[in-house]
This record gives sequence, C-alpha cells and structure tokens, in this order.
Amino acid sequence: MLSFIIRRTIVMVLTLIAVSIVAFAIIQLPPGDYLTSYIASLSATGDQVDPRVIENLRNQYGLGQPFYIQYFKWITGVVQGNFGHSFEWKRPVWELIWGRLGNSVMVEGLAVLVMWLIALPIGIYAAVRKYSLGDYLATIAGFIGLAVPNFFFALILMYLAYVWFGTTMGGLFSPEFETARWSLPRLWDFFTHAWAPVLVLATSGTAELIRILRANLLDELKKPYVTTARAKGLPEWKVILKYPVRLALNPLVSTIGWLLPALVSGSVIVSVVMNLPTAGPMLLRSLTTQDMYLAGAIILLLSVLTVVGTLISDILLAWIDPRIRYGSK
Amino acid sequence: MRHEVVMRRGPRRLGLAGAVAVAALVAGVGVALGAGQAPALEEMVASGALPPLEERLPANPLVVEADSIGSYGGTWRMGMNGGGDNGLIVKTVAYEGLVRYDHEWKGVLPNLAESWEVNADATEYTFKLREGVKWSDGTPFTTEDIAFAVQMYQDPDYAAGSWIDNKNNPVTLEVIDAYNFKFIFGKPNGMFMEQQASTDGIHITSLQKKYCSQFHPAYNENAAAEAEAKGFSSWALYLQDRCAWGWETIRFANPDLPTLYGWVIDQPLTANAQRVTWKRNPYYWKVDAEGNQLPYIDNLDMRVSQGGVEELTLAALNGEIDFQERHIATNVNKPLFFDGQEAGGYHLGEVIPSASNTLVLQLNLNHLDPVKRELYQNKDFRIGLSYAIDRAEIIDVVFTGQGEPFQVAPRPESQFYDESLAKQYTEFDPDQAAEHFAAAGLTEKNGDGIYLMSNGQPAKITVDVISALRPEWIDMLEIMQLQLGAAGVEIELNNIDRTLFYEKRPAGEFDAQVWAGDGGIEALQEPRYYFPFSDESVWAYRWAQWFNGTRPEIAEEPLDWAKKQMDLYNQVRASGDPEERARLFREVLAITKEEFPVIGVSLMPNSYSIIRNNLKNAPETMFNAWLFPTPAPMDPVTWYFE
Repeated sequence: MLSFIIRRTIVMVLTLIAVSIVAFAIIQLPPGDYLTSYIASLSATGDQVDPRVIENLRNQYGLGQPFYIQYFKWITGVVQGNFGHSFEWKRPVWELIWGRLGNSVMVEGLAVLVMWLIALPIGIYAAVRKYSLGDYLATIAGFIGLAVPNFFFALILMYLAYVWFGTTMGGLFSPEFETARWSLPRLWDFFTHAWAPVLVLATSGTAELIRILRANLLDELKKPYVTTARAKGLPEWKVILKYPVRLALNPLVSTIGWLLPALVSGSVIVSVVMNLPTAGPMLLRSLTTQDMYLAGAIILLLSVLTVVGTLISDILLAWIDPRIRYGSK
Repeated sequence: MRHEVVMRRGPRRLGLAGAVAVAALVAGVGVALGAGQAPALEEMVASGALPPLEERLPANPLVVEADSIGSYGGTWRMGMNGGGDNGLIVKTVAYEGLVRYDHEWKGVLPNLAESWEVNADATEYTFKLREGVKWSDGTPFTTEDIAFAVQMYQDPDYAAGSWIDNKNNPVTLEVIDAYNFKFIFGKPNGMFMEQQASTDGIHITSLQKKYCSQFHPAYNENAAAEAEAKGFSSWALYLQDRCAWGWETIRFANPDLPTLYGWVIDQPLTANAQRVTWKRNPYYWKVDAEGNQLPYIDNLDMRVSQGGVEELTLAALNGEIDFQERHIATNVNKPLFFDGQEAGGYHLGEVIPSASNTLVLQLNLNHLDPVKRELYQNKDFRIGLSYAIDRAEIIDVVFTGQGEPFQVAPRPESQFYDESLAKQYTEFDPDQAAEHFAAAGLTEKNGDGIYLMSNGQPAKITVDVISALRPEWIDMLEIMQLQLGAAGVEIELNNIDRTLFYEKRPAGEFDAQVWAGDGGIEALQEPRYYFPFSDESVWAYRWAQWFNGTRPEIAEEPLDWAKKQMDLYNQVRASGDPEERARLFREVLAITKEEFPVIGVSLMPNSYSIIRNNLKNAPETMFNAWLFPTPAPMDPVTWYFE
C-alpha cells in the first residue's frame, strides 16, 4: 500500500508540472495580454493611452518577455509559495484567492455532502423497489434535476423568494457579517444564506448520482451471492448494504477526484447569478481581463485539487474493494 | 449678524477684496448664521477630535442650490456590477474637478476653481482655486497639488494617459501663487473648459502631493526600497497602487488616499469586497443655500455583485436600492420595475441617453482589400444598405416599439439636431436600395441572390460585434441579416471578445464593426462618427491616425471631404468663442450629411432610474453619459432622505 501511494504521488507531481505548463500556455493563447484588454476598456470610455505609457507598463509587468521566461519566473515563484501579483488589483494573488477558495470549498463541499446524503438512500431505494411508485417519482425528480440548468433553477428560486417572501436571496453573508471573524452567529448566518446555493449546486449532481447508483445496484442485486446471502437468512438490510451497495459505490468513489473541479467550474454561473463570492466569478473575470497570474493560480489550484482528489479516490478504492491490486504484481 | 460671519472668517482672509467677496456671497445667497453640520461631526468637534466647521470650510465655500434644504443622515444604497466597476464610483463620488457642468449639460460652473480666464486665442487658461479647500485629511488644497499632478502624469513611469500628457497639444503649468495658476498650451484649445467640466477634469485634482510624493524617488530617496519591502517589483508599481490616477479602479482600494470627494472610503474596493462603503468627508467644501455643510447623506453603500445583475434587480424591486440607473435599467426589465413601484416604495425617473443610436454599422472605408475598399467608400452602396433596412421591424421586435428610425446624428435634445441628417435614407425602400446598389456598380447576382463585387466575389460583409456589451446587438443584427440578405448583401455575424475587437482595428482587414452611437448630445466633444476623429472612428481608422498623428506607420491620407472636416474641426478647437465653434461644427456636420459615412438604425430610447420615494432633490430627469458622469453633475451631495 505504501509503495502504491509513493508511486502515485510521484506521478501526481509530474502531472502537475505538465498541467502548469499547459495552463500557462492556455492563458496566453487569446490574442493580446492584460494591457490590450486594459487599453480596450479605457478606449471604450473615450480615454486614450499614450503608447509610451503602455510600453512602460509592459516592461514593469514583464509582459514583453518570451513565453518560457515568463513561465519559468512564474513557476519558480509558485514553488516558493509566491503566485505572483494580480495585474488588475496589484495585490499578491494568494491574498486575493484564499478567501474565495475557502468559500468555494465550503459551499461546494457542502453541496457534495448534501448530494451524497440525498442520493444514496434514494438510489438504493429506487434500485431495491424497482418500478414502484417511489422509484418512478425518484426517476422523474432525477431527470428534472438533470435537465434544469443550475443557473435557471437559481433564478427561479430567487424569483420565488422575492414574490412569496419579499426577500432578496443572494450572497453568502448578511452585510454585518461580511467582514466579521468566524463565530457561531456568523456560522449560523452562513448557513441561512448558503442553503440555497448548496441546494442548487447539489440538484444535478444528486440526480446523476441516483441514476448511477440505481443502475450499478440493479446489476449487483441479480448476482448469485445476493441470493445466497438471502437464502442463508441474513436480514434484508444487511443483504443489501453489506456487499451490493459497497460494490455499487465503486464508480462513485473513483470520480471523487473530478467532483470538486466540476463543481467549481459548474458553479461559475450560479455564483454570478446568486452573487456568491467564490473562486468561480474571479476565475471568469481574470480570464476576460487576461489577468494571467491570477487566472493561472486558480487553474493550477483547481488542478491540484483534481489530482489530489484522484489520489484519494484511488486509495479509497483500493481500501473498500480488496479485489483491486495496486497496479503491479 | 452678517458682520459677525465676516469677522469670524476674517482672520483667514488675505485682503479686503476677499472680505468683500464673502460679504457679497452672504448678501447674495443669504448664508444663515450658525451654519449646520452633521450631528456626528458636531460631536466630534465638541470632543475636540475635529476642528470647528468654519476652520474646515474654505473662505468661499461653493454654494450648491437645490430644490429644498435637506436634513442630515441616512445611507444611499446602490449596486456595483463586478469588482472592476469603478465607473459607478466615478459617476457618483469622484466627479470633483476644477469646474463642473450645470444640470442641463450646457454651461460650465465653478467647482474647485472659483474663477478662470481665457486668453484670446485659447492657449492660456488662468485659474483661481477656492482658498482654504482641504483634502479629506485636513491638508490644504493648493497649486502645489496641481503642479504635482502635472508632474506625475507627465512622468513616463507613472502609467496614466490624459490631456495632461497629450502629445498633440502639450500643456505646461505656470504656478503664480498658492491659489493661482495657468495652463499654457502649444496649440489653441478652445474646448478646454468643457473638457475640464467632463470626466476628464478629475485627473488634475486627483493626487495630493503630501501623501503621494512619498512613493516617488524624486521626493523620497528610499521609495524604491520601501516599494520592495511591500512586495512590489518597482517604486512605480507601488506608486500606482497607492496613488492611482483619476478614476483607475485600484484608486478606490486605498482608504488612506486623501481626496476632495463628498464621501471618503470606509470599506475599500478590493478584489474580494462584497460591499464598498463611504462615509462623509468632514472637510467637504460645499454648502447648501443656508450654509449647511454638504453632503446631507451620511453614508454610501455599494453592494458588489459577482458579475451578474440578477440579485441587484431583485434588491431594487425590494426597495433596497435608493437611486440607481446603471446596470439595472435595461429595456427588458422596464415592465418589471414599472409594476413593482408601489411594492418597492420607489418610482421611475427619466434618463435621456447621450448616445444617438442603438447600433452604428461602420463599414471599414480603409479596408486593405482594394475591391472592398472601393465598394465601402462608395456612398451609393451605403445608402443602398440603409434603404434595405426595415427599421420599424427592428424597433418593434427588439425595442418593443420604443425609439424611431434614426441615423447617426445629434439627438433632438442637442443644439446640433438636424432633422434631415437624422432621417435621411431611413425609410424602408427596396427599390431605392436596388437603384443605389446599381449606381455603386452592383448589378450581377449569384445563384443565392447575392450581388457580385467587381472581382466576381459575392458581396459579403463580416460584422464584428461584442454581444457581451449589448445583448440586443445580436438580435438586431440577426434581423438585419435577413433584411439585407433579401436585398442582395450577405451579412455574417462575428461575435468576438472585446480585446480581439480592438486588436483587429489597426490591421485594417475587418469589414465592419458595430458600436452604439456615442456623441448624440456631446456631438462637439465626441464627433467620432461625424468625421475621422479618434481611434473609435473605426469606419476610418487609418484616416483618424492621420488626423491625430498617432501610429504614423498605418496612417493614410484621407479623401478631400474628410480633410476639409478635419480642417474645420481644428478651427473649432482653436476658437474660444462658443458661437463660432457651433457655426464651424455645423459645417462639419453638413459634410457628414452629404457623405453619409456610417449607417444608424434607431434613436436610442430613453432609459429610467430607480428613485426611492423618500429620497429628495434627486433628479426626475437627467442625461446619461460618460463625459457628463450622471448622476454626479446632478449634485448628489444635496440629496437627502425624508
């Protein structure tokens, strides 16, 4: 097991290096750089910038240098924990993103929890009571959840909250708690705001999980060992939970790694609509303004999350399913 | 009693003339004794935390007239769209230049300068600053600050562009004494006062020498080391971080930066700010007609959205926005806001846009392809296109009937309005279109019914558009695509990002770009569609370079009619007489009418503002523009809650 983890970690580091190069290249792909988009936004307001000034800024920011030099400078900084400065905000990138990443992890982590809490029982129920009324209801709800875009669900929720309760839904905190330190009242305030986005983010994932779990479990339930267990007189709940469910979970566990990044990128529009200060909107904005170190840092951190998530799911898989031998003889 | 006022302020006067001026002011507007200030400030004065009001106000404070005398207190709630929305701040608090516009956007009024003089050929402008105006930290505002701002803006390491470092007409500053100074221009600059009253005027008053000089090596030899200690790679970047120019976003991220605004930053605009708040500036230098210090409203509260306006729209409907036009006043939302007035406790005000047109189709007259260039430069081709557009259909479908067919021309509210310029070729007439196309040499059509150009290729125009900026552009262009297709000209939509949109311009190979009709009211200052005036004159980008002397490598000598216009506009710039300028500019517009360079669709319909019913002195009608940064010229410092 230990050598498995070590091997995996080495592969992980190599993957991350490759990812950082690709991420940096992708950010540089669109035409122009931060200054072009800066000039564009200035000229839109009727302002003109002296080309000399831009040339100076380009040097100050080191934008005129070739790709590999820019990359090398950036990555040496990253290794030392310095993600560079945001052009737009003239602040260290790290200072800008840690709060937002924290919000992202909290909201999206909660969404994952809720997703599993809702999906697991319903999925099991739908498989065990196949073609019952409950199964059909779960299926209908699941398909609706899959089909309705998140942001649209968010809009409907916000509109209903306005029409029915006269409240403006949005944000993660009340004004008085926005800049406060963490405390019990702030936590409570967070939950009173976060339930809506968490619900919105969890819907489509929940639906997907229910479908996957139901299908997997249906396969397992037909297998002879289940019949044997039943014949031996095991209680029904134990028959189902002990083996078939455990096996049906495999495909779910193996996708843990993708879950977080998928939620972060999937939550961009929801965050914009519901006004959530998470990493998504900042990534979107930094990409449109070509604030490359900021965008690069967010993309890199998301990649780290993906890769670490994949590692965790590999380990979990190996742990819950002894049939998986660690990749070598 | 009047005497007492003079006496009280007397010791700080320099001479008899000043005392007379105060007396005259007192007599004129009846400044009452015991002029008031906000209760919170009164307490601070009582406790000694703040000097008394008369020491904070200038000798001759600016008296701002309003409909009614207000009372202190309250918070004005509004909303920002995304973190980079410095525009809202500029248009709300940061509009404090030497002079300002009047409410009708006609005349120029004193602001930080109490008077000014212009020489005969408009090359020398002499200003007199209001004596005793103080920055928000209590430091006097003098010509030293003006000189410092000029020095910074002209320093190549301080990245800011404005009229101060305009290479085409360089300015030099001559300081006479602490309150009097002169701007001397190389060439006549007849519209300088209008420019100073516009958003451009806030540059020169944006930097306090005392605070900002500490970041410049000319004043502080340790500047570079201090910048490095703060994690900046150069002193220039640190200076720009602490003392950003005029309306740069980052400027509002530094609460330590002294300003001359009515409100000072409380919670700054940072990348993660969910709210930007402002509290009153105890040193603000404007008073109401009774001599009470402004502003009336205690705090500003700008909620920051994450780039969407949905929450903001709901907040406005819920009565959580006190005054706002920006971002939320879309066409689509109008019925929603109209119906929600009673429940939300607000009403809608009228907002007249400065833009003349909803969509300006700018064919590239400087196209690098000789065939396209010849065709696009042919006036008959453009007239044909204009006749082929059924504007009534577009107005009905996209704007629910609001607006009227219109060319790119000064709006009816403008002194330059000319009905024949605004309405020519706006009727939908396929026969006329075909005639004009024939006159432009388009006679043959291919199997799809598209005209063939002189090189045998179909007449296809690729139109660049940024739908993110105005979603209705795509809707309009899709209708125009069908209409023009039926008339024999193929339109291809090219929806691109803003950066690429700008990058394509110098290359000269784009067919056409789309923008809104800026310059409907401020035609004189923003004539980009009337002649090749600036980089925004996309239809004649290379001619504009010739006019401005920028990018000589791609500049092209314009056709004679455009050269005539440029010549006339240079005379406009050189003239100090408004009547003469108007006459000359009408000549420019006459050539525009004759040559018909760009194609417009419909008059930009009026917009609306959300005004809470308990907010007083707020304008029921106002213009909206960038150069006239509404609502700031409508004196929000005089608004108050009942």
